[in-house]
Amino acid sequence: MNRNNFFIHLALALVLILVAAFAGQLSRWRKHWKAHVQIVPATEKKQPATAEEIALTETRSFGRPEVLVKFKRGISQETIERLTAQRHDRVEDRIESVNGLEAIDDLDNADAAAVANEYSQLPEVEYAEPNYDIELDEAEGPLVPILPHDPQFNDQWALANSGQRGGKQGADISATLAWATTTGSDKVVVAVLDSGVDYTHEDLAGNMWTRPASMAPYHDNELGTIDDENGFNAIDSASDPMDQNGHGTHCAGIIGAEGENNIGIAGVNWKVQIMPLKFMNAGGFGTTKDAIEAINYVIERKKAGVNVRVISASWGSTQRSRALGDVIRKAYENDILFVAAAGNSSTSNDRSPHFPSSYDVPNVVSVAALDRHDQLASFSNYGVKSVAIAAPGVDILSTWLGNAYEEKSGTSMATPVVAGVAALVLAEQPRMSVDDLKKKLLASTDPIVALKGKTVTGGRINAAKALEN
Amino acid sequence: MPNSKDSAVENARNDLASRLNINAADVKEKSVEDSDFPDMALGAAEDGEMSGQMITRGWRIKLEAQGQTYEYRADKNQVRAFKFKGKNHRI
Repeated sequence: MNRNNFFIHLALALVLILVAAFAGQLSRWRKHWKAHVQIVPATEKKQPATAEEIALTETRSFGRPEVLVKFKRGISQETIERLTAQRHDRVEDRIESVNGLEAIDDLDNADAAAVANEYSQLPEVEYAEPNYDIELDEAEGPLVPILPHDPQFNDQWALANSGQRGGKQGADISATLAWATTTGSDKVVVAVLDSGVDYTHEDLAGNMWTRPASMAPYHDNELGTIDDENGFNAIDSASDPMDQNGHGTHCAGIIGAEGENNIGIAGVNWKVQIMPLKFMNAGGFGTTKDAIEAINYVIERKKAGVNVRVISASWGSTQRSRALGDVIRKAYENDILFVAAAGNSSTSNDRSPHFPSSYDVPNVVSVAALDRHDQLASFSNYGVKSVAIAAPGVDILSTWLGNAYEEKSGTSMATPVVAGVAALVLAEQPRMSVDDLKKKLLASTDPIVALKGKTVTGGRINAAKALEN
Repeated sequence: MPNSKDSAVENARNDLASRLNINAADVKEKSVEDSDFPDMALGAAEDGEMSGQMITRGWRIKLEAQGQTYEYRADKNQVRAFKFKGKNHRI
């Protein structure tokens, strides 16, 4: 090799080394960019969030499941390590600034919320919560909260709790994130079994079920032929299910007041079909027999081809009726979810059952009520064995008779929140079985300290989680 | 016709007199308080009755007759005898 060739080869080698080093740095820069930059697709329907809206954005766990567990004072490190090892987990880090707080890695890759819930049930644990991963889903991009322009939406803390009226920011069902996936579907029918519904209410009229023209009026061997154009009235089968109390109209609005119509409020579903069923009178009470008659109507309409998949039942009593239990089981056999109020006596349904929420039938989801601070409502029934889940149920703004809106409280108000989330899930996955739907709902909660030992899941329903695949 | 507080007390007094088979004048009003009840049957459901699980504003009426105190519960839609001889009655 002559002297000139030597220098040419040396220069080429240096260039190659520099190119390789630069390429490596580029790769690192690209990774860094993906982890920190949100690229939000702009669409007509899902407008970009404002800075305030982004503040409401919740990060979601897409990476390894990890939980933050705060053990009670006096629990030794040895005990903590034994408890984690028993669950095939390991202590990843101790948070020194908070005594007893441990970051725990689940080696089985289980759902973070489920792992947190498992820990929260332990007597040694003060609280446990998922450690949400801050990485973004590179394939789909982050969910951006969708806020409707319904003028009273800011008063709907259950859907978006920004701390209004002294509430706890984030103590809501993450509806605005869920709406980034779906705002509901008019293919899903939810039966509101109640005091009827004011189906002329301006914020409900567009989401009411009406019997399709192609479907014959309802016929019952005992009741005869009934014109069920607007639903079913079990009290007086000759008349329609117009609400004379307001309770059913309130529940209907929680499930499906029309969203983004610049009127009043938004329901959990902006679009849905609400089937009004009336068995309670102007006073807000009715008979077991009429409730059974109305459930039977739903089953018959399902068999006739109506896609009614959810019954919302914001009522009850402490009296057990075997016949009512039987007809709810029949609804289960027809793939219909039955969401029921846990009751308002501040008592344990494990000890003093409340019906229909305490029936041991697979489609029943019993619902407790939370306030705007993520506390179990003072009136709410509970039961670690018998009450499945909790949802906002205090000072809930919804539709009322005469195009009005009122705030009401009760497990009555928490129930349609869960029924509404079920309808959102069905909008995305219409063929989901009732068993899977119930499982999905119960796996879609945010662990709440106040619910530890009070409900089966120990959590508040989270609509956005329910829509995750 | 919706109940007023006064008409609810009057209905309760007449009902108690009838149940005890005494004159309404012998039924004394002990107290009437505004109250939140746990459901729309005012926490006094009859057998076989279901009610909306919404907190309901009404009146807790305590009446006295024959040396005993009796409780009635009322709102604009209804008046109920609470656990009269162990049973609830909507009147």
